[in-house]
Amino acid sequence: MKRWLIAGAVVASSRSAADPLTLRADALATTAAPTGLVTLEAQGSPGPGLSAEAVVWTGSAADQGRTDVLVMVLRARTANGRASGRLGRFVETLGALRPVQVDGAAARVRVPLRFDVEAYAGVPVVAGLATARTWDWAAGARVARQIGDGGSIGVAYAQQRDDGRLASEELGVDAGTALGKRDDVAAKLAYDLANPGIAEIALTASHRSRAVRTELYLSDRAASHLLPATSLFTVLGDVPAQHGGAVVTWRAAPRLDVIADLGGRRVDRDIDPALVLRARLRLDDLGTSSVTGELRRDGAGSETWTGARGAARIALPCSLAATTELELVVADHERNGLGRVWPWALAALGWDHGAWQAAIAVEASASPQDRRRVDVLGQLGRRWGTR
Amino acid sequence: MTRTALALTCVALVACAGVLGLSRGGPQPFPHRAHATAGVACTRCHTGLDANPSALHLPDDAVCTTCHVKPHDTRPCLGCHAAAGAIAELTEARAHLVFDHRQHAAPTRGDCMRCHVGIAEGDDHLRPPMATCFRCHAHEAARDARKCDACHRNLEDAQILPQSHLAHDGDWMREHGTRAASSGDLCESCHRESFCADCHGKTVPALPATRRFADPFAASVHRAGFTARHALEARAQPGACATCHTPDRCVACHTSRGIAGDGRRSPHPPGWVGPAAADNEHGRQARRDPAACASCHDGAGQALCVGCHKVGGVGGTPHPPGWSSKLPLGALPCRLCHPAGRAP
Repeated sequence: MKRWLIAGAVVASSRSAADPLTLRADALATTAAPTGLVTLEAQGSPGPGLSAEAVVWTGSAADQGRTDVLVMVLRARTANGRASGRLGRFVETLGALRPVQVDGAAARVRVPLRFDVEAYAGVPVVAGLATARTWDWAAGARVARQIGDGGSIGVAYAQQRDDGRLASEELGVDAGTALGKRDDVAAKLAYDLANPGIAEIALTASHRSRAVRTELYLSDRAASHLLPATSLFTVLGDVPAQHGGAVVTWRAAPRLDVIADLGGRRVDRDIDPALVLRARLRLDDLGTSSVTGELRRDGAGSETWTGARGAARIALPCSLAATTELELVVADHERNGLGRVWPWALAALGWDHGAWQAAIAVEASASPQDRRRVDVLGQLGRRWGTR
Repeated sequence: MTRTALALTCVALVACAGVLGLSRGGPQPFPHRAHATAGVACTRCHTGLDANPSALHLPDDAVCTTCHVKPHDTRPCLGCHAAAGAIAELTEARAHLVFDHRQHAAPTRGDCMRCHVGIAEGDDHLRPPMATCFRCHAHEAARDARKCDACHRNLEDAQILPQSHLAHDGDWMREHGTRAASSGDLCESCHRESFCADCHGKTVPALPATRRFADPFAASVHRAGFTARHALEARAQPGACATCHTPDRCVACHTSRGIAGDGRRSPHPPGWVGPAAADNEHGRQARRDPAACASCHDGAGQALCVGCHKVGGVGGTPHPPGWSSKLPLGALPCRLCHPAGRAP
């Protein structure tokens, strides 16, 4: 049954994608699960206003083999762009509400006075091509009015059912726009209607000058409202966690970018810094060879940690590139005898020659899960049609 | 001391000037300004603007040698006299823009500088920014309808990032959700469905960081040694995992690794649960990060909580003061503690 569904997905996407048609196949093999993965992608446009896209994969993990569809969607749009629709499997992002992957349909209509109305309905996706589904569905709608060149202010509502039971019911308000050429602001708020309370608030505002971009951000999240309403742990009430700070991105030199994220977290009664200092140096004008370094201080309460990460990619002759990535995490406190120093390293050799791509890597790590672990990864990809 | 540090900094900057891009070696930007001030018309070198709209109209060596009759080198002129990436940028623009120079010759009266403003200032980027187009072309209806294909072709494949609104700078991975909430239709202009589904899909086989392991600069969640630090990150951002994962995903992985499920060793410290209020650290921790509890105790594991917290049980009510729900007592999860829809 699964094989027939996959075959149908590939054939459907191929037939609907006459010209131009893009196909891509990737194979990944690793000694860590999944031990093997083959991904097939197809995109095409059968005519003006129509496009189709499909991504299917099959893989074998240590415990079982699996096949699934990540995306299979047909998109249609009127010539004037005023109405559009999607049919199939896709990820729906409706304003301030959380993204949900559904098998269903979605539509957007632009009505006069710069108002937009969008809605979706479908069956929430579960992994494994399950056909014996219970009474699960999700539906939502958003009404928005465009403001400025690229922003809007909108109100969204969505409800999700799991086996007939209310799993989530949320109301979202979002707003965002560009204030002139240098300033952007955006905000969103999600309100849980099932267990009344604010589920999430996020604010961001940025200003750009020639070499410096500054962003202020703040988020407030109540974990109990983000769990499905069918979970017992939603009845505990909310102890919101806050994260806020400022990010400064500075082009210190034509090839050197420096990013400083100076923030803090508050979880219950704990207030801790969340700091990141990152630099990236391009070793040539095109950035084909680059090095980056990062220092990080993060965590909350007794779970604070300090980390360092470095990565480099060096372009070699014959379309080859050598890359390496290193990370060291040092936890402030040891918990349950799992150690507190966790290194991770990866060294890879990649080959990108037109339509073909290949890479091989060795990954080594020590973590609370594995005292020592070494894995080998290999990847091979081929592209057909325009990129 | 300060002077020594200042001197060392200066020496370091001079030594690293080439690497930092402060001093340019290799190919130089083409000296357009020198040619323009010398009175060389643009169309003298960029020929064929009125003939073939799909060509790049770049001069070849034969055009250069009409004036520079004795080249100092036998290599192609544009190999050195063009900024690195400039030609690639033009090729990209030609492939993804609907544009015809012929239609612009009359309105601009042949003045190329009206659009290619940066050229006179030695700018490496020959492609005018979109704001330049909007000086003459209003396109308001097309912009409102996000109908980019009036000018752009296959934006999904174009290797460009927004330059003004929604510039993908800074920590875009954290920022993108807030931005996409109100500009999701703009995101669709460039990104395919699979771009979102690669991380947000329930059927993701492997995240981009795993699939593209040879590119350490590619954007992805859960980069590098995330497995080692995932517990630390989850506790610092309660609920963040739940934005993509359902609790059963945590339970399944933790059970397979022996962290949860029967026969496991309890990860909780002494005094985690007890009759005295002071010992009931589990209550405070559960309210602080309920997703952490759900990562092991969700599903059948909920029975452990219900044993004490049911109506009439020794654990009392787990609800905080003022807590309310629109769910009926007979629905899940209420009926686990409120048998037969009984209120305390």
